[in-house]
Amino acid sequence: MNNLLPFEWIAAIRFLREGRLQSLFIISGVAIGVAVIVFMSALLTGLQANLFKRVLSSQPHITLERPKPIATPQRKSEPGQSVLSTVQKPTQRLSSVDQWQKIRDEMHSRTDVLAVSPTVTGPAFAVRGDASQAISLTGIDAEQYVKIVPLPEKIIAGTFRMNNTDMLVGTQLADDLGVQLGDKLRVATAAGRNLTLTIVGIFDFGNRGANQRTVYVALSTAQNLLNLIGGVSSIDLTAVEPFQAEVVAQSIAASTGLNAVSWIASNSQLFVALNAQTLSSQVIRLFVALSVAAGIASVLVVSVVQKRKEIGILRAMGGTRGQILRVFLIQGAIVGLLGSLLGSMMATAMVSLWETIAKNPDGTPMFVIDVNVNLYFWAALIATITGLAAAATPAVRAARLDPVAAIRG
Amino acid sequence: MASATAAAQVDNAAVPILRLEGMTKSFDMGKPNETEVLHGIDLVLKKGEFAALIGPSGSGKSTLLNIIGLLDRPTGGKLFIDGHDTASLDDAALTKLRGRTIGFVFQAHYLLSAFTALENVMMPTMLERGHCDDAMRETAKELLEKVGLTKWRDNLSSNMSGGQQQRVAIARALALQPSLILADEPTGNLDTQSTQSVFELMRQVGVTSGTTFLLVTHNLSLSKRCDRIIELLDGRVVADQATPPAAVAQATQTGEVVNE
Repeated sequence: MNNLLPFEWIAAIRFLREGRLQSLFIISGVAIGVAVIVFMSALLTGLQANLFKRVLSSQPHITLERPKPIATPQRKSEPGQSVLSTVQKPTQRLSSVDQWQKIRDEMHSRTDVLAVSPTVTGPAFAVRGDASQAISLTGIDAEQYVKIVPLPEKIIAGTFRMNNTDMLVGTQLADDLGVQLGDKLRVATAAGRNLTLTIVGIFDFGNRGANQRTVYVALSTAQNLLNLIGGVSSIDLTAVEPFQAEVVAQSIAASTGLNAVSWIASNSQLFVALNAQTLSSQVIRLFVALSVAAGIASVLVVSVVQKRKEIGILRAMGGTRGQILRVFLIQGAIVGLLGSLLGSMMATAMVSLWETIAKNPDGTPMFVIDVNVNLYFWAALIATITGLAAAATPAVRAARLDPVAAIRG
Repeated sequence: MASATAAAQVDNAAVPILRLEGMTKSFDMGKPNETEVLHGIDLVLKKGEFAALIGPSGSGKSTLLNIIGLLDRPTGGKLFIDGHDTASLDDAALTKLRGRTIGFVFQAHYLLSAFTALENVMMPTMLERGHCDDAMRETAKELLEKVGLTKWRDNLSSNMSGGQQQRVAIARALALQPSLILADEPTGNLDTQSTQSVFELMRQVGVTSGTTFLLVTHNLSLSKRCDRIIELLDGRVVADQATPPAAVAQATQTGEVVNE
């Protein structure tokens, strides 16, 4: 017996060692539960992180636009009169954000905004010979825009370069128009302007629509083509906390009077689906945790029954209720802790197995599961607390045992 | 041995270790089936006494022993242990007094099977202090030597014979040098030879350490070898007499021990 360990620890460890098979089964049970929880959490986090990365890497977190003009009746009703008026919605012409430089600077000074990039976006046609394709022409400040959308990562051919006559097109558009790197395309807009630009890069967003429509040109080129000299149609932002984007957007809308649309608002369906996924996984994890707790509790209840006489004799020899209580609580905590350590190892093995099985046709992993060290820490902490909580009932029962009744059996 | 016992009794005659005054015990209090099992027991045990408590099954021996051992509380009357009025003590104080003053030896020895003989003997001290230390280990070794189990001290208690286990239980009861040892049928599960040696051991401990023993037994031949026989019948003390030293000596010399 170790002189440094308190009596309760020595007794708890000895009791667990004595019922070796029983202890082994319950620790394995806890380990399987912890492994399922850790693996599920890692899988879900990996899956969602991958999904968010894909969504967020092709669009800004927040887009600021000029508020849409509202039509009002020309003649208002006087008191005692009623006026029937037909109000037509105004046409949405492309117009610049007022004093966009001032707003850009304001956005730069906000602590919840990471990057700011003014853009000019408008409809245009990409024309090559007889073929033409409707496109969404996006003029960007290359240096700023890469902080919003990591375009260089998406380039599959050519380079990311934004001179006045350069353009970047998606794979689908290149395919539709039969163009390749170095070819020239004429871009025509409704403003009656047109320019011939050179394809310096072809990108792939992993989305057919985006690859077909989006065309990137330099900011000044887009301003020229869309007749918005010196202006920008929107300001794109990256929020420090992507999941706080909606809150940040609302705060910006309130302070600037602009329309602020967050990626959360524009992808609400995705969020509903992800929330449902998170909720269902939490329910599963909760029930696994409950079954682990029930397992620990039932084994300790049996142990208390088996050790009735020994508990009685410990009490008769001067053992306090507190000491007996702690002996069983510690057993629960040890089972939880050992189970979680074993479970974490099992989860790591499961993640490795998953990564070897779940692969894309080209052999790359379907998505990266990053098992965070924190996840292990929390799993160990929660399993230990669960062990303690599960041991509470049997421990109280043991502590309350009347020594006379216990000894008599 | 008889003369040594007598001398111890004379020296400590004035010191009562245990005093019971009109003690009663009822079960199922307040219910229609309330039963009083002990009716006004008066009893005094002095330091160094070696007394037998006899009586047929159901006479209340074990109930009385549990109350004296502070494992149970009386319904009425007074109980003084080592001068402390136990009625005024709460559960924690009773546990402390029990641990310090009283040692138990049971019929089924109830050793902790997960611990070795030595560790079992250390247990009461460890419970009192909350951890173990080298001094405690040395004391336990001495106690095991006293009961003749030095060679078996590192054996798990589950790997020892009944007689050996009961010897460990006696050593354990002595760990905190209690004033009073309560032994409930300590030889009830042992063969004749082990009964003889365990009884001799207790007698010897009583003489050398001056510890008071109260021995519950069905074994008449054993009771005759005690200094005093207290007989309980239907919850009352019906006889309480000292065994003449000559009779004790005779019973001891003839080795009259029969498992009855």
